[in-house]
Amino acid sequence: MSTLLTHIAISDGKIKRSSLEVLSHMRQLAEANRHTAEAVIIDAEASNYVDEVKKYGPSTIYTVEDPIFENHMNTPLLKALTKVMDEAEPYIFGFGSTESTKDILGALAANQDAAVLSDVSEFELTDEGIEAKRPVMAAKILSDNVAEGDRILVSVRSGSYDLDEGDADADVVDIDFSIDDSEIQATLREIIGASGDKIDLAEAETIVAAGRGAKDEEGQDLINELASVLNAGIGASRALTEAGIMDPSLQIGQTGKVVSPQLYIAVGISGAIQHVAGMTNSKVIVAINKDPDAPIFDIADYGIVGDLYKVLPPFIEELKKIKG
Amino acid sequence: MKFYVCIKQVPDVDAPIQIKDGKLIQDTDRMVLNAYDASAVEEALVLKEEHGGEVEVVLVGPDKAKETIRKALAMGADKATHIATSGDEDYDSATYANILATFFSDKEYDVISCGKQSQDTDAGLAGSMLGEHLDLPYATNAVGLEAEEGTLVVKRQGDAGQEIIGLPTPCLVTCSNDMNEPRIPSLKGIMQSKRKPVEDVALSDLDIDESSLQPKTKVTGHMEKPEREPGQKFEGEPEELAQKVATLLDEEENVI
Repeated sequence: MSTLLTHIAISDGKIKRSSLEVLSHMRQLAEANRHTAEAVIIDAEASNYVDEVKKYGPSTIYTVEDPIFENHMNTPLLKALTKVMDEAEPYIFGFGSTESTKDILGALAANQDAAVLSDVSEFELTDEGIEAKRPVMAAKILSDNVAEGDRILVSVRSGSYDLDEGDADADVVDIDFSIDDSEIQATLREIIGASGDKIDLAEAETIVAAGRGAKDEEGQDLINELASVLNAGIGASRALTEAGIMDPSLQIGQTGKVVSPQLYIAVGISGAIQHVAGMTNSKVIVAINKDPDAPIFDIADYGIVGDLYKVLPPFIEELKKIKG
Repeated sequence: MKFYVCIKQVPDVDAPIQIKDGKLIQDTDRMVLNAYDASAVEEALVLKEEHGGEVEVVLVGPDKAKETIRKALAMGADKATHIATSGDEDYDSATYANILATFFSDKEYDVISCGKQSQDTDAGLAGSMLGEHLDLPYATNAVGLEAEEGTLVVKRQGDAGQEIIGLPTPCLVTCSNDMNEPRIPSLKGIMQSKRKPVEDVALSDLDIDESSLQPKTKVTGHMEKPEREPGQKFEGEPEELAQKVATLLDEEENVI
């Protein structure tokens, strides 16, 4: 019997849904293979999240609580994860694939001499380790991968698994943690454009994404109104983030965020493969573009060929009626 | 400042791809400098132009990858080291990080930089692995760099916003392609690149033990991702289209 441990990421005072997706899958794997599912919360207020995590059925929840975890910094997070691995001795250690995870996953694997697969879209246990699928070549190809050994790290794309609650009776184990200022060489000077109450794209049910076609003020107003009616997150193609029109944190694509909402509305986006790589796993894709040959129509479930300035106002009115 | 930029030759993701018996068949004429590494080279050149210093590129790869080294030299890098491999190995991120860590163990530098990931595999692991092996302060996913005395100031795109991080040198940083537009080599740059020094290093020249060349992960196959079928495309009066699609989303898809 081995331990399948899941890291529960906290950002802006909320548990990242992607972590709970990984925990749900890990608990199912544990049940099917007579392993133990455990979870770890590392945060300035880790204990606040214990009750929520319990619902997903880990048998043990480790907490590491220290004010240093108020903001993401790789050195303290790595130190905490190393301590947790010493304590829990996980066979598999799973993460939701957030920017914070990407910042430390390789370093943690190197530190622990562990095998690691990042950004997988699915994984299963084998006799020797795990096998996993990863999107590669701008998400045009799926690769099959195996990782073997007695310590394996894996990060999972958001939206890969459904949430699944389990038996809520977990032991809670607090792990002592302290870090001296001298151990942290880097200084976090400030955080710009903290997302605050904005909707996290990686977790959004609905996303309205704007491209070059919607770059002026009128276009932006329409995008904002559409998003507001649908309670949607707002994303952007690289054209708009590069031009400084939209915040870089909103970029969707191979280099930006990878999203998988129920509904993705691409407005004025042509559909370059780098953009498509970040949104092709959306359940329903709607594209609005005046160019009938735009590649976005090749992957859209519903395409509207037309000028977004003429299409969006009646579209927004219709949606308002439906939402009524 | 002395910059080492780790670069990699990768397939062009825009080129047509074939899969045969689970293996990717890549057009050897469509191998390019990894786009993220190109941004790392560009940023090092900009900082060198502002503050002086030297930019050296390091590439682990087969002989064929020399052309990628030439590209970085033509952009303006001063010199290069080529750590030669046969190209047939099934190295994973950890193996590359081990090779580079061994190479850097006796080197002096202010900054080691590289792309945040390879555009072919998108793994994004080797950078922070190298930072850990060399025990360097590091930052990933940089979208901007500035040099201060003894400090590299990194603007990092994080989950909650852009983090401004001061890293004391020597340090390591991995670069996003959102930080700049890599320059196209000029004719003069291309001519000059042919005279710039490229040091060849064989794996056997490095004091690296066999076990750190054994990958812990393997790619066992490839398949085309099931493509999304194009759905319905509507043209006509904007009001009608808007109403039709809104109704479909509500009644057929139930996503409103």
